[in-house]
Amino acid sequence: MSNETTSPLGRLLSSVEFKLIVSWVFVVLVTMLLDTRNTYWNKPADSVELILRQTVLLGFFALGAAIIIISGGIDLSSGSVIAMSATVFGSLMIVLDPEGFKAGHVSTNAVVLSIAGTLLVGAMVGTLHAWLITSVGLPPFVATLATLVGLRSFGRGLTPTITGGKSQIDFSDLGLRESLKDVTSISILFILFALLLWFLMSRTVTGRHLQAMGGNEQAAKLSGIRTDRLKWLAYVIGAVSASIVGIISFADTGSAKPDIMARGYELNAIAASVIGGCSLQGGVGTISGTILGCLFLRTIIDAVQKIVGTGADVYEGMIVGIVVVVAVTFSQRGSSKIASKKYFSNAIGWSVIPTLGLLTGLSYLLFFGAREWYANYQAFLIGVTVVVALSIRAFLESRPSVNGQT
Amino acid sequence: MTQPVISINRISKRFGGTRALHEVSFDVMPGELHAICGENGAGKSTLMKILSGVITSYEGELLIDGDVVHFSGTKDAESVGISIIHQELNLVEQLSVAANIFLGRELRNGLFLRDDRAMEAQAADLLESLDCDIPPDRLAGSLRVGDQQLIEIAKALSINSRILVMDEPTSALTESEVERLYRVIAKLRSQGTTILYISHKMEEVFHLSDRITVLRDGQFIATRNTKETTPGEITKLMVGRDIESLELGPRSQRGELVLEVRNLSLEWPGHARGYRLKDISLELYRGEVLGIAGLMGAGRTELLECLFGASTLEPTGEILLEGYPIKPRHPADAKQAGLALVTEDRKRLGIFNTMNVGRNISMCSLRDAAIGPMLNSYQEEQLSESMVEKLRIKTAGLTPPIGALSGGNQQKCIVGRWLLTGPKVLLLDDPTRGVDVGAKAELYRVIRSLCAEGLGVIVTSSELPELLTISDRIMVLSEGRKTAEFRIEDATQEKIMEAATKSWQSHEIDR
Repeated sequence: MSNETTSPLGRLLSSVEFKLIVSWVFVVLVTMLLDTRNTYWNKPADSVELILRQTVLLGFFALGAAIIIISGGIDLSSGSVIAMSATVFGSLMIVLDPEGFKAGHVSTNAVVLSIAGTLLVGAMVGTLHAWLITSVGLPPFVATLATLVGLRSFGRGLTPTITGGKSQIDFSDLGLRESLKDVTSISILFILFALLLWFLMSRTVTGRHLQAMGGNEQAAKLSGIRTDRLKWLAYVIGAVSASIVGIISFADTGSAKPDIMARGYELNAIAASVIGGCSLQGGVGTISGTILGCLFLRTIIDAVQKIVGTGADVYEGMIVGIVVVVAVTFSQRGSSKIASKKYFSNAIGWSVIPTLGLLTGLSYLLFFGAREWYANYQAFLIGVTVVVALSIRAFLESRPSVNGQT
Repeated sequence: MTQPVISINRISKRFGGTRALHEVSFDVMPGELHAICGENGAGKSTLMKILSGVITSYEGELLIDGDVVHFSGTKDAESVGISIIHQELNLVEQLSVAANIFLGRELRNGLFLRDDRAMEAQAADLLESLDCDIPPDRLAGSLRVGDQQLIEIAKALSINSRILVMDEPTSALTESEVERLYRVIAKLRSQGTTILYISHKMEEVFHLSDRITVLRDGQFIATRNTKETTPGEITKLMVGRDIESLELGPRSQRGELVLEVRNLSLEWPGHARGYRLKDISLELYRGEVLGIAGLMGAGRTELLECLFGASTLEPTGEILLEGYPIKPRHPADAKQAGLALVTEDRKRLGIFNTMNVGRNISMCSLRDAAIGPMLNSYQEEQLSESMVEKLRIKTAGLTPPIGALSGGNQQKCIVGRWLLTGPKVLLLDDPTRGVDVGAKAELYRVIRSLCAEGLGVIVTSSELPELLTISDRIMVLSEGRKTAEFRIEDATQEKIMEAATKSWQSHEIDR
């Protein structure tokens, strides 16, 4: 690593946060240009609300995931914890105030108790993770893989028992729903949550210890740091943050369907942390970076929705995948090194070129294909162009190193 | 005059802003054992990496048998017959000995399938030619370091290497393994192999080599015929100054008893011996350095881990600190009680690579720089800064990453980390491992001055001269038992060695 810049300005310019802000502005500008309906101009408030809501919903449990990743672990279970928490929240309200729930007016006491109970369940899940990892001795990947599969199933089992045979819980109290999903309130709540975690990570002894444990667990233990307790803290934060999202999502979507709700979200959270500069080796990452990672990811997804139009949620996974690869490649090395690194010069490099060409061409067809009769030819041309361009790059790379000195 | 087998001609290499090598030139003659000496950071390893094709971009020329070569990978180097035995061995621990020897060049049978039996047979032949009886189907990870090293040598032989580079080959070996290595080296030389031998240890270099080349700060200093020079001269060339007169400061007065250990034992389930440590008793006084000598596996590290609450199993016996019994079950307990441990394996167990110098130093004493749970970064910097000054750590402030410091300065950071906890007893596990000559003397001086402040210090070391230099008393371990204790006036290398090589069967007979 030779990118040590000493001046504060240099550090700022080379930080993940700065790069993300620049990329974010770029994405917003491109969207404004390409969006034929000019949504950002015509309905700025709606656009902001949409992106904000999605960023905040991702942000809560992405921050939880980031804390766990920085402290050297991984949590695969958050999607299932979200689904289960939504179910538990609904179930608790039904149990505590069955009449009110049916009538659509759950009593305040029941709501408060249900929220507290759901968060407690989250803490219990986190404790279970910590126990599986520290006492049973399972790798975090395995422990949270077990709960990823197990907790969703638990939610599915719980729902019919509570609802009397239905496979989902419908949120009947519209007033409560509105206030729980209110974008201003959840944004403020998120800011408070983020500030709390930022304070924890950058201003407290515990935060430093979490970072140390992520960087070198053995050395941390031999420095007299009680690593088991820190792991408990990290996994509880992770699970509770997912529970919060469970409560809000329940209100947001109006129903808790434990079989499909928040499926695969855990990977979005991990992706957002990684885009935001967290290293999966542990020890590296920031709260601010993770938040910007969430914002960037949600904005790109939103941009594609704007540009492509309907049915864009189908492509969410593709976008997340591409963004993770590009973001991590760029944050690992500066753009100057990317220019000089060899990507396509060996056999694997050559053989990936058709794949990339096909991928680009087909993506174009899928995104824009329905519009014009000649789209098929356009897509074909684009695919061929990519193949030719990459082949030229491969050819240049495989020449004896003229610029090898750099 | 015969043609040199390797000719290094004005080779330079920079890493970013630092100059690792600057116009180094010298020749290696066929069949000689050419030692390369220099402090850490002198450029030895960089040069060897160029020679073995690990580093491919550099300035200057490398000539093999008079022809200019430019390796673009280790395969190229191997094809002209150069093999390197790295200090950190490159074995796949989960594979067998034979599989490791033939890794990447696996033998195949008529059906193009892997032929394990042929590889094991050939591996057995190779190992036999080295006079060692390692079964080729054993897993590499189950072998001792010394045996693992021989496997690397066997691997080099299997690709018909005629030039062998050995990077500090004895750094992890026991005396008997060193003896065996010497025999292997003699055998290789009788077959005409040219050997480049990198080492700090003068004794070895003078025992083995024909010629010695000294590097310092990336520059070529001199090449001497071994017969015409002295260890003193080479050391002087290495450090660029005279260190014969090691001025470590006065020994301090022995104070009152600070640590007492009675009958400490640690089990070893599943091992023939049954214990890692058996009935160890010791006393440590304030202002005193107690050296612990012993071969690899004698239980030095285990003893310190038990005292520090870092052992996986719970030890039996009593530990008294200032007369009060303590039972540390976690390093946090030991730290609380007033013990400090600087671990043996600095990279794996000591430093936090993702953090800067300052944070590495303050790691154990953050509570002292905090108001409640909140860190006060100014106070934290003050703490770290005080140790940088006290221990004279060479660093450009507190913000560079810890990895940018030399081994000796990293070690000082970790010592400083523990001094900030205000310990009563400092446990140092082989503190000068991988530290160069100049920095060693610095560390000795630090240890002395800490004693003067009333600390009790326990030091282990794999180098006897080191223990004889710094200790006030020396305790010897052999196979988990205490076999002798000497006052420094009575201790000699021979006596210590004798006590360190007593086997446990002979104990049983003694009784």
